[in-house]
Amino acid sequence: MRISDTFSSALKGVTTNPSRSMLTMLGIIIGVGSVVLMSAIGASMKGVIVGQISSLGAKSMVVFPGKEEGGGGQVMAGFNSLTFDDLEKLKRLDSIDTVAPIVFLKGTVSYGRDEASPQVLGVTPEHFITQVTDVEEGRLIDQTDIDGASAVALIAPDARQKLFGESDPMGKRVKIGDHLFTVIGVTKPLGTQFFQNADDRIYVPFSTARQITGQKYINQITMNATQGFDLAVSDIKYLLRQRHDIDNPDDDQKKDDFIVHTSEEAGAILAGVSLGLTAFITTIAAISLLVGGIGIMNIMLVSVTERTREIGLRKAVGAKSRDILLQFLTESILLTVIGGLIGMLGGLALAFVISVFVKGILSTYAFAVSIPSVTVAFLMAAFTGLVFGISPARKAAALHPIESLRYE
Amino acid sequence: MTPIQSPLIETRGLYKSYENDGVSTPVLFDINLTIKKGEFVSIMGPSGSGKSTLMHILGFLDMHSSGQYLFQGNATGTMTDNELARIRATRVSFVFQAFNLLPRTTVYENVLLPLLYHPSIRVADRKKHTLDAIATVGLTDRKDFYSSQLSGGQKQRVAIARALVTEPDVIFADEPTGNLDSQSGIAVMSALQKLHNDGHTIILVTHEHETARHAERILHIKDGRIDSDSKDFKRVIATTTSSLK
Repeated sequence: MRISDTFSSALKGVTTNPSRSMLTMLGIIIGVGSVVLMSAIGASMKGVIVGQISSLGAKSMVVFPGKEEGGGGQVMAGFNSLTFDDLEKLKRLDSIDTVAPIVFLKGTVSYGRDEASPQVLGVTPEHFITQVTDVEEGRLIDQTDIDGASAVALIAPDARQKLFGESDPMGKRVKIGDHLFTVIGVTKPLGTQFFQNADDRIYVPFSTARQITGQKYINQITMNATQGFDLAVSDIKYLLRQRHDIDNPDDDQKKDDFIVHTSEEAGAILAGVSLGLTAFITTIAAISLLVGGIGIMNIMLVSVTERTREIGLRKAVGAKSRDILLQFLTESILLTVIGGLIGMLGGLALAFVISVFVKGILSTYAFAVSIPSVTVAFLMAAFTGLVFGISPARKAAALHPIESLRYE
Repeated sequence: MTPIQSPLIETRGLYKSYENDGVSTPVLFDINLTIKKGEFVSIMGPSGSGKSTLMHILGFLDMHSSGQYLFQGNATGTMTDNELARIRATRVSFVFQAFNLLPRTTVYENVLLPLLYHPSIRVADRKKHTLDAIATVGLTDRKDFYSSQLSGGQKQRVAIARALVTEPDVIFADEPTGNLDSQSGIAVMSALQKLHNDGHTIILVTHEHETARHAERILHIKDGRIDSDSKDFKRVIATTTSSLK
């Protein structure tokens, strides 16, 4: 029997009873669909995290006041441990440069009747180096602004949209709390950083923010490591522990009143998330394809019994056992391949719909497809058809023509 | 048409028994027969006489236990399953009592089926062979009908067309009228007689004497042995194939 005839006979077998074929394929459809969906979500999330890390800068580090708690938790609010003296001492370390302090400015932001609640950051020019930010129009905050404690503001795209809509914000005066600031520029989009929208921000000069708040401590310091993160982190910890009178020879982070993070750690988190996601998807794939495969085997075994007379007839008109074996094996592979295709398209469609909704919350979330995962899921489905089709196909091939023809 | 006087089928001391859980059940004993090409032979006998088993052995659906079965002069006792399948694909064909048409499949697809397993009929020639076979049994206008849309008589004619399509050396018909009303039965027997007149060798298995008399020779099987082999009877001639349409 020709391969094309085997294929067309198998296709006929699959299409002759569409409802049974559909039920047979259901396990594979759900299995492949869920794998494709999960891997697409994973790929999209990876894009979000990669975006965050790239916006942080490859050598970027951050120190903020707070305490590590057990189980990976962190307490940041209410801590005022990072002082301006700490900042000055940090600037002297050789293992770091571009030290950029941040003071948060509280209060509603308004322009005319439009109000918004963006995050207002008092920053120095170094901030735009460590955060890899540039302007879309206008200019960044420069040293002159810092020196003169100017009432100027640099706005990020989402804050601009909320306050000004489509009108030109340049030179306009926005009110932050009780103070007026002149808009000097608009930054390029940054996306999301650690699940916070970095585009709903307003930057003002660090010195201005400090004057307004009268704050004696710093909310956050970003910086770049000059050589390596290990040296930079140990230098920072050593310096701050010494300055804060913390005796911590065991490097127990729970004893510190500051937290140091590096973009390398974020990369490690990404790798961990990615690995966890891969393991999760692989487990789902394995379980669902196993269940789908058993489903196919069961229905195919029933189908062989149901089609005993047909098998007898095919043998009576000249089919060899091998022809029957190949026909039933091709049928089960076809079922899994068609089921895999339906699952793949369904999974991708669902992932796309989800991406449309999530984009509203997480602006950097974009529909992405993990081609290797989709390919592996599809091939695994076909392989499942082959493995779980063998038993029914062998049963069909082994049937004796006379007994099959007499089967009631 | 004058049959060619060369033995198509020859058995010598054919014996068949079934082994089941160590228990041997003999079915056929010392079967000696010769069937020439172009003959129309009825194998007749009561239920359990062994006539169907004999047909299965002669039609390569089963193997004999001992003795000799020569097909066109060639011994068949040592054939492998694949060799038996090849002979079924090219040399013999069957018409069954229960029609055995594929469900949810058209007349054309049912008749085409044996050609999928035929090693030498070219793909390009399949359509012509199929349509010719359908035309021979007068079902051209129903070639696209599904088997469920046909009457019993029409189904059996489809089965006959399927048996014809590979142009086999011999057609085995196992109780072909058993599931049919009398008029449909006559039409089927008429079709078989026409095939015989066209030169085909036909072996008919039946337990009905009236049906058996459509052949030109009747072999009586009783208790697994040939009881009689006769051409001395009044042959029944069924209506012509034109009445089939």
